[in-house]
Amino acid sequence: MTRRASWLILALVVAAILGPWLAPYDPGRAYRGFLFAPPMPPRLVGPAGLQAPFVYPIRLVSRLDQRYEEDRSRTVPLPALVSANTGGTPVFLLGADSFGRDVLSRLLAGARVSIGVAIAATVGALFLGALIGVWAGYRGGWIDELLMRAADFVLVLPVLYVVLVLRAVMPLVLPASTIFLLMAAIFALVGWPVVARGVRAIIRAERAREYIAAAQSLGASPARIVFRHLLPSCGGHLVVQATLLLPAFILAEATLSYVGLGFPDETASWGTMLIEASNVNALARFPWTLAPAAAIFAVALATNLLLERSAIKLSRS
Amino acid sequence: MTPAPPAADRLGAPPAPVRGGTLTSSIRSEVRSYNRISARDYPTELLATLTLGRLVRVNRATHDVEPWLAESWTTSADALTYTFTLRDGVTWNDGTPFTSADVAFSFQAVYDPSAKSVLRNSLLVGGQPLRIDTPDPHTVVVTFAEPFGPGVRLLDNLTIMPRHKLEAALAGGTFADAWSAATPPADLAAIGPFQLARYDPGQRIVLDRNPRYWRTDERGEALPYLDRLVLEIVPDQDAELVRLQSGQIDLTQQQLRAADVATLRPLVTQGRLQLLEIGVANDVDHFFFNLRPAQWARDPRRAWLPRREFRQAISHAVDREAYADTVFLGEAVPIHGPITPGNRLWFWPGIPRYEFSRDKARALLAGLGLQNRDADEWLEDERGTEARFSLITVRGNTQLERGAAVVRDELRQIGVAMDIVPLEANALIKRMLDGQFEAIFFVFGATDLDPALSPDLWLSSGSAHVWNIGQRTPATDWEARIDALMAEQARATDLAERQRLFREVQRIFSEELPMIHFAAARLYMGVSARVFNLSPGFARPHLLWSADTISVTPAGPATSQ
Amino acid sequence: MAAGRYLLRRAGFALLLVAVVSSASLVLVRLAPGDATAAEALEMTAEERARVRAQLGLDRPLLAQYVDWASHAVRLDFGQSFLYARPVSDLLGERARNTAVLASSALVLATLIGLPLGVLTGSRPDTIGAAVTRALSLLALSVPPLVAALLLVLLAARTGWMPVGGMTSLAAASGTWGAWLSDVARHVPLPALALALPFAATLERVQSEAVADAVAEPFVRAARARGLTYGDAVRRHAWRASLRPVLGIYGLIIGSLFSGSFIVEVVTAWPGLGRLMFDALRARDLYLVAGTAATGAAFLALGTLIADALLALADPRVAEEREP
Repeated sequence: MTRRASWLILALVVAAILGPWLAPYDPGRAYRGFLFAPPMPPRLVGPAGLQAPFVYPIRLVSRLDQRYEEDRSRTVPLPALVSANTGGTPVFLLGADSFGRDVLSRLLAGARVSIGVAIAATVGALFLGALIGVWAGYRGGWIDELLMRAADFVLVLPVLYVVLVLRAVMPLVLPASTIFLLMAAIFALVGWPVVARGVRAIIRAERAREYIAAAQSLGASPARIVFRHLLPSCGGHLVVQATLLLPAFILAEATLSYVGLGFPDETASWGTMLIEASNVNALARFPWTLAPAAAIFAVALATNLLLERSAIKLSRS
Repeated sequence: MTPAPPAADRLGAPPAPVRGGTLTSSIRSEVRSYNRISARDYPTELLATLTLGRLVRVNRATHDVEPWLAESWTTSADALTYTFTLRDGVTWNDGTPFTSADVAFSFQAVYDPSAKSVLRNSLLVGGQPLRIDTPDPHTVVVTFAEPFGPGVRLLDNLTIMPRHKLEAALAGGTFADAWSAATPPADLAAIGPFQLARYDPGQRIVLDRNPRYWRTDERGEALPYLDRLVLEIVPDQDAELVRLQSGQIDLTQQQLRAADVATLRPLVTQGRLQLLEIGVANDVDHFFFNLRPAQWARDPRRAWLPRREFRQAISHAVDREAYADTVFLGEAVPIHGPITPGNRLWFWPGIPRYEFSRDKARALLAGLGLQNRDADEWLEDERGTEARFSLITVRGNTQLERGAAVVRDELRQIGVAMDIVPLEANALIKRMLDGQFEAIFFVFGATDLDPALSPDLWLSSGSAHVWNIGQRTPATDWEARIDALMAEQARATDLAERQRLFREVQRIFSEELPMIHFAAARLYMGVSARVFNLSPGFARPHLLWSADTISVTPAGPATSQ
Repeated sequence: MAAGRYLLRRAGFALLLVAVVSSASLVLVRLAPGDATAAEALEMTAEERARVRAQLGLDRPLLAQYVDWASHAVRLDFGQSFLYARPVSDLLGERARNTAVLASSALVLATLIGLPLGVLTGSRPDTIGAAVTRALSLLALSVPPLVAALLLVLLAARTGWMPVGGMTSLAAASGTWGAWLSDVARHVPLPALALALPFAATLERVQSEAVADAVAEPFVRAARARGLTYGDAVRRHAWRASLRPVLGIYGLIIGSLFSGSFIVEVVTAWPGLGRLMFDALRARDLYLVAGTAATGAAFLALGTLIADALLALADPRVAEEREP
């Protein structure tokens, strides 16, 4: 279990860091004859018996029906992937999307942006949420009331409209770094109330317990009480919130792009890839375009395993 | 690429139409109002087509003008006065006779400011309202302020409303809010083939056969054939497709997306669905630059970006066949102007073309001083400013987004960089109207096929003259020439002469290229095999425009949920 | 009466929330690019457009329009919808019931699925069942709601187990109350399930963690030392102790059930408020947006109130804390 988890996490980290270099094709390049091309499974057994890994090339039979045929008369050796950009028959191991772009390349190239935004936003939301939750829970009274009502307000505010208004006053063409930061900031600002509510509830419960009273009577400073005693008890809650927020933020990236705050289409991102694939045709006939969902699942799983273990460690120490 | 054979070829000879049965269609949005004079959304328009009527009707399949509530008409020698004779014995569904007073009332509502009519602009000739006289209950005399090319075709725009139901509202100044979607069916009146039976907000609109409908088929049998027409409100296009597949609806209001065709193909093979080709779309995606001088006054790119040659280079640089293949899965025809082959009377096959040639594009750009002067792949002008501009398009409109990406990839080949900025539709429109953009890729409808009835794109003062909107006087010579030709064309009454003048308009348009067009989709609709006697039309409602003659097989797979 | 004062204060805050949120929505819609005339702008002359804008009050300064709206809103007159030319309150009334039916069904479903599974994964984290459940939860969180809803619609269409959408069928629409109810009951599982899935997964994760924390508590160990089986200890003690964090997020879930329901409502053609709000936002239907936002805020306020009341029942200390 732990072993496998480590491998999963390692693979994701490598993908996030090296993704753009691992991608066999330019993720923005559209192969016009290969719209919705199906995945080409790697094979070992060919006409000449066992051989080095290869795929059969495909060719378009009917454009309107998006039917492709395997060309069994030829084989393309898999190492061709490395030099694929030089031309020749493209090899789509995970198929192609509606533009004829390689899904695998987009998945790899999008890992950094998608995971990056989500992690930055999650850390931000957890930090803000913990801070506000602790403050509200520890101080109680009107501060508590004020902060929790503010949380309610953020929760029901139509955020898309805030973004729409924001977008209108920004320059038309935004550099990717600005989009990255804005997205992370917006997600963090939208995500904190969920975290804060839970943290506050835990702090309030813990505060009432004997050991806090004991610490107080021993003259411990509020900071010490919060950081040594109260905050650690929220660890489990924060871990759970992280596993909930991370995939949600990866998906939400596509929602923001709806109001004009999104990465340009050459920049692959998992959320946008998924939204493009969210239609009946894709579900029925091109399920491979939903590959980003699997990737997001892997990230959620990895986060869950990683954080759960660290939470266990934390509680043991 | 071959047109789909008519349904009859695949399903055997169509049976003779029979009375009875229920047809279920989907509709994507909520009905806003039953008052066609003050609302122009699609459900309102569809309901008007189904329950109300016009004096004359443009046949959506043949493009011809047909007598409708008016049985016949005569034209005066000066082509200014049209005298209509109304059909005998036509009554509203509550038994009230239909008379010329209803026609006069409808015109009155259209022109009354308190009615907030959305039809007003489409019923002006030379900027003037029509004069209506009703010498007797069966005669309507319509007088135009000046000669008008489209003639009676104009009157297809007017939905006749019942005077006996709405007179008080118009007199009391509440006409604009009358017949809201909350109106009980009993307070409405119908003269079309159907009458409203019930409306469940968010769910469905149910229409029953109007037993007093005036029309009969050639055998003398009363129309409509259908007993009931149900419009299920299904906001999502995918859900609509699933319902069509599972037989819960018989047809949709909108054409299929290209990718849907393959999804439906197995059902066509099984004989459960028919695939109708309804022709080439009339509405096309417009690619245009901001041509307001103010936009470029202080821009370092002013020497080349707003120039005609720059637009011509773009037109040369895009392979329209490849565009059609990528954006429409091959189901589209290349076009070189806003008028598509779908518009039979006004399409001009001889329009000057910009054939796909990167060399010509590069030569045009070089003429503007754009060359590659450094190590990157982009061109620069003498001062080193990169050949780069931004294009706004609508987020969520796959066709536009995909088309923009194709154009961007093509322009990269000639060293021109285009940044695509997908925005929400309202934000795009705001920028378009305010002139705050460099280039836009957007689709909007030509509301009518006759150029004289939809002049807003062409006229420099027009509301859809989007590359330089709101001009008081024509900004350029060529816009002035188009204005003059359009005015002449609207006044001419001879069709051949009008076509000649409009060809000239198209020629100037194509030379100056204020808008660039790439491809027009070939439209398909999926319809349940139990529906027949269909007559696909060029504009929405593509099928239900002739709802009175549509029939369904009695023992069909009419699964009601 | 402490409870009475507490309730009164909460109701006050709820009203404040509704007022602030609807005001903020109104202001935001006015500030957002484009207005209610945008969709038809190309079919109108500039003068016509100016006239329509004047009729809708869009030419007035934001503050003046807001004050006018607010002064009517306090008398429960939420204005006229631009889109439908009808009073906003009528439109909300038509839809609020439907959304309440959908949201409460989804809530029940999410609870029935999420909580027991959470207890399972929290108390016995190393079993295969727990691993599978956890994976399914994470999967439910990784799939966009749109895809999940579409999948269910496809499934319903292929199998015929459920109607593919809508809230009633035409046949039952004019029938008796009983027939209507059973018809709605037949239609509700599909959208409710689509809506409930991510919330069930959330509940499972939160409950799981809470139970895991609780079983580590001294009183559970003490209970086991008294000879209770592990299962009994979980059932009698840990489960109860774990309720607090779960109930804490119930209010949130009720709030987001409402705002998150629009995709499900669109795909499954459920005639609820989410769709109305979406259309209103797209059309910049000022007063309708404010009205739907107010309803959303009311749902959330009610949700948190119910959750807090449950919390107080489960853990009497909460109510005491409130009174210093």
